[in-house]
Amino acid sequence: MPARNQEQWEKKPDLKLGEWVDSRIYSDEEIFEDELRNIWKKAWIPLMHESELPEPFDFRTAIIAREPVIVVRGPDNKIRAFLNVCPHRGMAVDRRPAGSFLTGEPSGNAKHMTCMFHGWQFDMNGNCVEIPRENAGYQGRVTKEGQGLRRLRCETKYGGIVWVCLDDKVDCDVEGWTGGCLDCIKDSLDEEPLEIFHYHKAIIDCNYKLWHDTNSEFYHDYMHYHNRITGFDDGYFARKCAAFDNGHVNVGTFTVNYGEYEVADDRGDLTFPHLPPNNWYMVDMFPGVNINLRGSAVRMDLMTPLSANKVMIEFRGLGLKSDTQETRERRIHHHNTIWGPFGRNLHEDLVGIAGQGVTMMPNSEPRRILQGRHEGLYIHDEVGMRHFYETWGKWMDRLPSDPSKKYEPGLVVGPEMPPAKGISSFPGKVAAE
Amino acid sequence: MSTNGTEMVKDAIYQACLNLDEKKWDDWLNQCDDKFQYSVTAFSPEIGKDMKYLGLNHNELKEYFGLLPKHNTDHSPLRRHATVYSVDVDDNGKTAEAVTSFLITQEMFDGVNAPLDTGENHLFVVGKYHDKFNIDNGQAVFTKREARIHTRRLDKGSHWVF
Repeated sequence: MPARNQEQWEKKPDLKLGEWVDSRIYSDEEIFEDELRNIWKKAWIPLMHESELPEPFDFRTAIIAREPVIVVRGPDNKIRAFLNVCPHRGMAVDRRPAGSFLTGEPSGNAKHMTCMFHGWQFDMNGNCVEIPRENAGYQGRVTKEGQGLRRLRCETKYGGIVWVCLDDKVDCDVEGWTGGCLDCIKDSLDEEPLEIFHYHKAIIDCNYKLWHDTNSEFYHDYMHYHNRITGFDDGYFARKCAAFDNGHVNVGTFTVNYGEYEVADDRGDLTFPHLPPNNWYMVDMFPGVNINLRGSAVRMDLMTPLSANKVMIEFRGLGLKSDTQETRERRIHHHNTIWGPFGRNLHEDLVGIAGQGVTMMPNSEPRRILQGRHEGLYIHDEVGMRHFYETWGKWMDRLPSDPSKKYEPGLVVGPEMPPAKGISSFPGKVAAE
Repeated sequence: MSTNGTEMVKDAIYQACLNLDEKKWDDWLNQCDDKFQYSVTAFSPEIGKDMKYLGLNHNELKEYFGLLPKHNTDHSPLRRHATVYSVDVDDNGKTAEAVTSFLITQEMFDGVNAPLDTGENHLFVVGKYHDKFNIDNGQAVFTKREARIHTRRLDKGSHWVF
């Protein structure tokens, strides 16, 4: 077809509802605020890994939907989460990214969280244990007993991932939230303790969903020379996508031919427990999480939406805590040659979404973004995105293809499929339809 | 050419900066011993760990550079501003170690929004080179480089080594 004129360009695609979205969902500030309120504040967010706070009194800070969060490990070894907000004047209780409360701060004592501003102190359960000159100032009107931190629902589950939910009224726990999407890698994650070995972050001028889309569709493997050369065989095209409640998706496994890429080495001997050698599962969790078990290492991406067109993505790499130094070095090498900040694939993916961010800046012309590939749920089927946006539409009560309208049922997702409760497709064992 | 070991080391480091600035990968590798080990490392206060972001030997680097044309990449040039802080030549003058502070700037080209930001320079990475050398035939040859960086917000990252 020749290049289109304006009318042709602006015409709705000849596809069914659900097979495209309007780019305003990636750029509109009002929609973004609705997302924070309706989605991010009601979802279980896998904020970090427990090995980031390995000792009692260790802590780590984070953000969910602009709300500051502090996660602490108590003397009882239990991990708890609180709003990182002092109930007195709203100062962040602790300003560091991580640390230990075993050492006292200039304004407070060891083993306490201390707000430096006026010296209010809290124990690892969030109880307020010190208000300087409490009686002199408040005469019993404000007491420690009534000034605890805001505790948040927090669970440590699936290989030591720390999950936090801002909304007390959400009617499911983490297991219920996952809806079975992690069952395919649960045994691999839970067989023995994991440990973080990699962290870096990217702040990209684009909407968070564009990163989630990239993680959810594999059609973009054409962008990656590494993936074309190590995959793109019968096993690769036999990988199937499976959809789960709450907008989650996972992608079945296959055997990656690492030896086909000059710098890569076979990682079969270091493949995670319960996984066939060199196999690879990917789980995309609503609204912005990716857990990727690729042979010898786990990668976990967490998106933190900062504005309609700005996202922070934190990248974590995990190995087995029992690793010898030599084993760990190999895992790190495997992880970073592909997924590190100077690795082959991650850079290409991020250049891709940065380019999308340019065409979808706030108030730019609405465009139709296609997600209409149907390939029997196999690897290049865009069912992952369609499932995400069907859930997104329900939670937002907006139609993804016209977000000024209310959600309506009947969006095309894909053929009915049973959720995968275990390994859904061993390499090459699923015949192409 | 310098005859003094310290000056040879400084010459090698600054020449490496010029080669890397110009993406003369082979010229840089020619400055390195066959057993050269390269790494990019960082300490993360976020997770309380030393990390290795990249670790490659001489052959792997050569393969890595050879594959660059097959990969999509951000072609925004990286340029180094380096200052050699210390050079320690061993007593027999055969080996040396050096610490060099560096800032790497990125001249925007095609990484984000070319019509808007082409020509803009911004700080990309801050760190120190910890280099080791053999000194032979009036030349300092790299045997090891650890680019220890202080930047962990790396945004799109890069396919190009430091």
